[in-house]
Amino acid sequence: MTATADTQAGPITIETQPSRRKRKSSKFVQALPYLIPALALYGYFVVYPMIDAVRLSFFQWSGFRTESPVFVGLDNYVRLFTEDPVFWKALQNSVIWVVLSLLVPTLLALLLALGLNRKMRGRNLMRSIFYIPSVFASITVAAMWRWIYNPTLGLVNQVLEAVGLESWTRTWLGDPEIALYSVFAASIWQAVGFSMVLFLAGLQTVPHELIDAAKVDGANAWQVFRNVTLPALRPTTVVVVILTIINSLKVFDLVVGMTGGGPAQSTQVLALWSYTQSFTNHSFGMGGAVATVLLILSLALVIPYMAWSMKGEDK
Amino acid sequence: MSTALTTPVGADLARKNHTPPPGPAVGQRDWVGIGLWIALVVSCALWAAPFLLMFLTSAKTNADINQSAAWTLPETWNWANYSEAVETGDLWNTGANSLLIAVIKVPLGLFIAAAAAFAIARLRFKFHRIVLGVIAVGSMVPIQIGLGPLFSTMLSLDLLDSRMGLILPYLAFGIPYQIFVLYGFLRAIPDELEESARIDGASTFRIFWQVILPLAKPALAALFILDFVSTWNEYAMATTLLRSQENWTVPLAVQSFSTQHGTSYGPLNAFILLSAIPVLIVYLMFQRYFVSGALAGAVKG
Repeated sequence: MTATADTQAGPITIETQPSRRKRKSSKFVQALPYLIPALALYGYFVVYPMIDAVRLSFFQWSGFRTESPVFVGLDNYVRLFTEDPVFWKALQNSVIWVVLSLLVPTLLALLLALGLNRKMRGRNLMRSIFYIPSVFASITVAAMWRWIYNPTLGLVNQVLEAVGLESWTRTWLGDPEIALYSVFAASIWQAVGFSMVLFLAGLQTVPHELIDAAKVDGANAWQVFRNVTLPALRPTTVVVVILTIINSLKVFDLVVGMTGGGPAQSTQVLALWSYTQSFTNHSFGMGGAVATVLLILSLALVIPYMAWSMKGEDK
Repeated sequence: MSTALTTPVGADLARKNHTPPPGPAVGQRDWVGIGLWIALVVSCALWAAPFLLMFLTSAKTNADINQSAAWTLPETWNWANYSEAVETGDLWNTGANSLLIAVIKVPLGLFIAAAAAFAIARLRFKFHRIVLGVIAVGSMVPIQIGLGPLFSTMLSLDLLDSRMGLILPYLAFGIPYQIFVLYGFLRAIPDELEESARIDGASTFRIFWQVILPLAKPALAALFILDFVSTWNEYAMATTLLRSQENWTVPLAVQSFSTQHGTSYGPLNAFILLSAIPVLIVYLMFQRYFVSGALAGAVKG
């Protein structure tokens, strides 16, 4: 079927290039078989559940099949915004997580990539050491870091005691003031390698001639970085920033594995709170409302940035 | 490097008058390079410490863990932790489940994504920008948003708590990002290749299968690693959709090591190390594709 369409389309395009519209619509028919499997899966298992989460946020439903959802309008949102302090904590933590992730691991990854882009002894080994944490499952990383943070037997407190800093020892995951940052430290350890690899790949696209030319013109290292390397890294930076935002908003495994959201909900984040509302508190409506907030937050953060970066590319 | 080949004299001159381009330290005064190297080695040690700790703990008895400092060598190397890890984590079973899912999901998902990316990037039908935009949005949204409804969907399909019921959403959630990356890669392939094949009478499928896909091999290899790793490690959906222990994947088995009596750290650390072997193998096998052009091309998307 597609074969006949092809043999017709071929000569037409070469000879006369008639109505563009006809050509384009026949191309759409041609494209359909390639698109359908992806779009069907994507529509049914990704888009539909997301829309359904938004829909359910206007209903009250326990999630059991025996019960049917009851329409309650905006009740869930009113409850969420006025009677649910955990939601505000989760929202605050998610925002903190995004901001910190954009600052700390991203900058660190860029520095590491710049460093490890030079030829030096042990370069490949060092790249691997920084990258390998990111192939470990987050849930196992969480278990590993719980062990590291163990109040009495864990590495961190034992090292602090050994070097005479007993006063610095903490119950790293038990203190509501610092638990979030303790979990975040584990995420730095895990996430840096991936961004580093992206930056390293980006650095391979920086034209050598430009760097050499800048140096011949007397530019110092900072000027070369500022005016040659950094602009060339722009597409990479866009990807790293977008992926970092997305990964920060969906942080789940690490929190579940290290604190479960506690102590006293101090490490609660939106993705986990939505899950907890739906599955632990059996309130799919509230869970849907939290999910909707998370959806809006994700789109609000990512889409403007993407639009801005695409605009920049057109110039 | 290429300048050195064409104009050796000029390059030499440049080297004398200016700091050498990044490369092996020539002669004196590369203190910056040495300082940098030391800083990197120290950071590496910091990054490797958790692994070292994990390995040491994995070979210690409980008594040893309670008595000696975390960084000391085990008094006796207690390898029995590893067999206990396999048993407690039900590793033959959970590992088989994870492997089966990954072996089906990863190639199939990549093929489906590649076909869609081919259609969007090369066939340039009328709405291809809209389709791409809709897919791009999907790759940017946290999966946890749809978990509740996904649970109900699988319930109504009667696929809850089954491997098939995990493979389908896994496929769906992997596709958007892959399409997005492959689109950037395929778009960069020059038109002439495809046109000459078309003039020779190749069908669209042959162009996809024999012209475009082989050219996308580096990107596909990089995506293969990423996808295998994230499939093997996936936790949120697995914990939502799987109930009975016989269907568990490897990440779910981590919880078996903590009971109300506490956590058995020796076997737990052994299990974490064992559970990462398949992803490490895949990473090492495809490593050469990873840093090279593959992601550079992917990044441009």
